[in-house]
Amino acid sequence: MKKKGQEEMIGFALIIVLVAVILLIFLGFYLRGGQKESVESYEVNSFIQAFLQYTTDCKDHLEFLSIQKTIFSCDSNEECSDGRNPCDVLKSTLSDILEKSWKVEANITPIKGYELIILVDEEKERVSIKEGEKTNNYKGSFQDFSRSGKDYEIYFNVYY
Amino acid sequence: MVMKKGQLKIQQMAFMLMAVTLFFVLVAMIVLVLRFSGLKESATLIEEENALLLVAKLANSPEFSCGGSFGTTRINCVDADKVIMLKERIDKYSRFWGVGSIEIRKIFPDGGDVLCDKINYDKCGVIEVFSKDVNLLPPASNFIILCKKEISGGDIYDKCELARFLVSSEDKR
Repeated sequence: MKKKGQEEMIGFALIIVLVAVILLIFLGFYLRGGQKESVESYEVNSFIQAFLQYTTDCKDHLEFLSIQKTIFSCDSNEECSDGRNPCDVLKSTLSDILEKSWKVEANITPIKGYELIILVDEEKERVSIKEGEKTNNYKGSFQDFSRSGKDYEIYFNVYY
Repeated sequence: MVMKKGQLKIQQMAFMLMAVTLFFVLVAMIVLVLRFSGLKESATLIEEENALLLVAKLANSPEFSCGGSFGTTRINCVDADKVIMLKERIDKYSRFWGVGSIEIRKIFPDGGDVLCDKINYDKCGVIEVFSKDVNLLPPASNFIILCKKEISGGDIYDKCELARFLVSSEDKR
């Protein structure tokens, strides 16, 4: 009878140890499960800063314009030295940059889509480029600047 | 009778032990859940911040950055002319940054996988600054602007392209 009591106590202790081990394993898996995100927010932000400085093939009377200067040129209805419309250059260059930087390919990249909008004075939509689908998971960034009293806003979201 | 009383006491003690242990396990679980609830988020944030800082630190270091060579001072701007010359003398610098490899990959215009050197660096895709012959961790990367001086119609102008700056640390495990 005494032996039975001891056996029960040992059994109980074993159960406690087993539960503790299971808890530890679970905790270990939980903490190790942290994976790198497919899109980092700093990448989206740096992307805007970088593409604004990209040199396009639209030239004014002085130099080849950066994307940022092409936005101003487009908004002022100017022309490139070869007669092209800066707004067309802006849209086609940005589309190409986005296509190369954020590849939307099902089953190959985790990116499902993206959206880039350039607004002037909060209402005039100068550029709007959308690709792929919008999902609930996304990283986005925003950049604004002003010139000659006008406000320019760039919104960029990447969906994954 | 004496035997039965003893058994009852042992049983009581066992139940008491069980209750006390369960109580402590529950308290420990609650404490752990509260303690670790934000751990993953903070770990991700710190990892993200470290990667960004490392890439930003290198891209904006005097050996890589554009400085004032392209008009105003630019952030995350790498001088391609400087990097190509640095690559030529990399044996003096390979231990300078304390990382396993540094690579710059052009995104737009896309130069493919063609490795850049002093002769072809306007028509290539990858500037492999250096790579140690060790196990490397997956690279941290960020978008940069890669600028150089070009000639068009006899005029020198600044040409800036979109690229990724990739830095891998040594895997010391």
